[in-house]
Amino acid sequence: MPSPAADRTVARTMDGTVDGIAENAVDGPVGGAAAAIELKGVSHSYRGRLALGPIDLTIEAGEFVTVVGPSGCGKSTLLRAIAGFTAPTAGGITASGVPVDGPDPSRGFVFQQSRLFPWLTVAANVGFGLRHRPKAERVARVDELLALTGLADAARLRPYELSGGMRQRAAIARALAPGPRVLLMDEPFAALDAFTRERMQDEVRDLWRRTGTTVVFITHSVDEAVYLGTRILALSGSPGRVVLDERSELPALDHPRTDPRFGVSRERLAEVVRSAAEGAGDLVGDPGRGRTLAAEA
Amino acid sequence: MGAGLWRAAGLRLLAIAVIVAVWQAVAMAKIWPPVFVPEPAAVWRQFVRTATEGYSGYPLAEHLLASLRRILIGCLYGIAGGISLGLLIGMLPSARALLGPLVTFVRTLPPLAYLSLLVIWFGIDEEPKIWLLLLASLPPVAVATAEAVRGVHEDYLNAARSLGAPRWALPWRVVLPSALPEIITGVRVAVGVAYTTVVAAETVNGVPGIGGMVRDAQRYNQTDVVILGIVVIGLSGLLIDFLLQSLDRVLVPWRGRT
Repeated sequence: MPSPAADRTVARTMDGTVDGIAENAVDGPVGGAAAAIELKGVSHSYRGRLALGPIDLTIEAGEFVTVVGPSGCGKSTLLRAIAGFTAPTAGGITASGVPVDGPDPSRGFVFQQSRLFPWLTVAANVGFGLRHRPKAERVARVDELLALTGLADAARLRPYELSGGMRQRAAIARALAPGPRVLLMDEPFAALDAFTRERMQDEVRDLWRRTGTTVVFITHSVDEAVYLGTRILALSGSPGRVVLDERSELPALDHPRTDPRFGVSRERLAEVVRSAAEGAGDLVGDPGRGRTLAAEA
Repeated sequence: MGAGLWRAAGLRLLAIAVIVAVWQAVAMAKIWPPVFVPEPAAVWRQFVRTATEGYSGYPLAEHLLASLRRILIGCLYGIAGGISLGLLIGMLPSARALLGPLVTFVRTLPPLAYLSLLVIWFGIDEEPKIWLLLLASLPPVAVATAEAVRGVHEDYLNAARSLGAPRWALPWRVVLPSALPEIITGVRVAVGVAYTTVVAAETVNGVPGIGGMVRDAQRYNQTDVVILGIVVIGLSGLLIDFLLQSLDRVLVPWRGRT
């Protein structure tokens, strides 16, 4: 186990620029630095039934990891375990070499249903994680994040006054405020309409390129996974295990969708997810899932 | 919107006019003697007399203010206690096991049942009245708070914790504000209960006080004063509920919209 102190500097200085990603193909930390996230033999049981794992996974700083899998495969559980919301029944998780034993501002979280605090304004929501900072610094940071997410005009509004896309932007700004090393996103755009969703994908890609934050992004959309992920993971149906782990250079391109590799990747990933879903007997009959995949393939 | 409001106001006025008209008709039919059913005009005269000359030595406004003051103080204690108890019951399973049944027990008791006990303990001055209103207004707030606290979505807590809020800060920073809509509803119920209780509280040495006034009037068969007291209690109750609703709109603008 590498020392946590040594790693922290590495994680901070790594800017995670786009070129660095594809070359990171070698598994495991380089030069004794701890990975951004490391899972060892993580599994989770629900009511005595194994729902997830065992999973071994090393996520390097600067990666944009997308995780797809059939519903009920435990991908949300995986993300919540990394966040420290739930403890896995077995195995250990470290973030930058430090064992995860609860939520921490170094790991920001974006929920599917924004979970903005309804009693606070957008600005106060974004500033929630900056309580201990001096006021001037806090105000400046909130302004900066609101500008970054295009919400400068919405600072004084309450969450219920925002559209779905704006809510998710505010949620992302809130999660970024404390300067997390890892941003965990749990199907953040699943509740948005297709048009807003594509725009949000571009914004997140932009944000990631600019901030270099490590991102773990759960989605049930194969298209989204291929579009955003520098590394794509597919989980099998219950119990969820990693059945595909692939690096991709597509997000580094200016227009990934026009690249011939995009269609190929998407096709293959869809195939993997489909067979993973069929592997779990109880998921075959799920009509919603079949339709989604057919539409995307 | 504006037209709708005028319409609603017009309907209300019409309803009041109909009630007064029926009342006048019943009184004029003289089925019952005026001691039982005085005319609206008699109540109005009584209102003017009570407002200017007073009743039982105090003008009407002073009776009303004395009652409102008791309700205010009793409810403030009751709301503070109710929110604290509700937080405990909602967050700690052991507190729920211990205090839950006790709150329900007190809630099911009619206030008159323990008024005698309070009089024995605290005498006949302000203290037993405040205690009675406290005990009456606490349970609705406690129950509403406890339910709301238990219903706080865990992802609000997760979000706060992942934004660096320490565990001990969660009740104040997350649990209470997200329970606020239900708490305010509980407060409205509590003030209503306190209103119905104040008359009971003032049956013992309740002058000045609307309840005391009604009680005295009942002793001397002054039906017009009794009706006047009832109308004043009802109207002031409406006014206070209106104020609480306005407070609700200011404090919980997101109600029903998340």
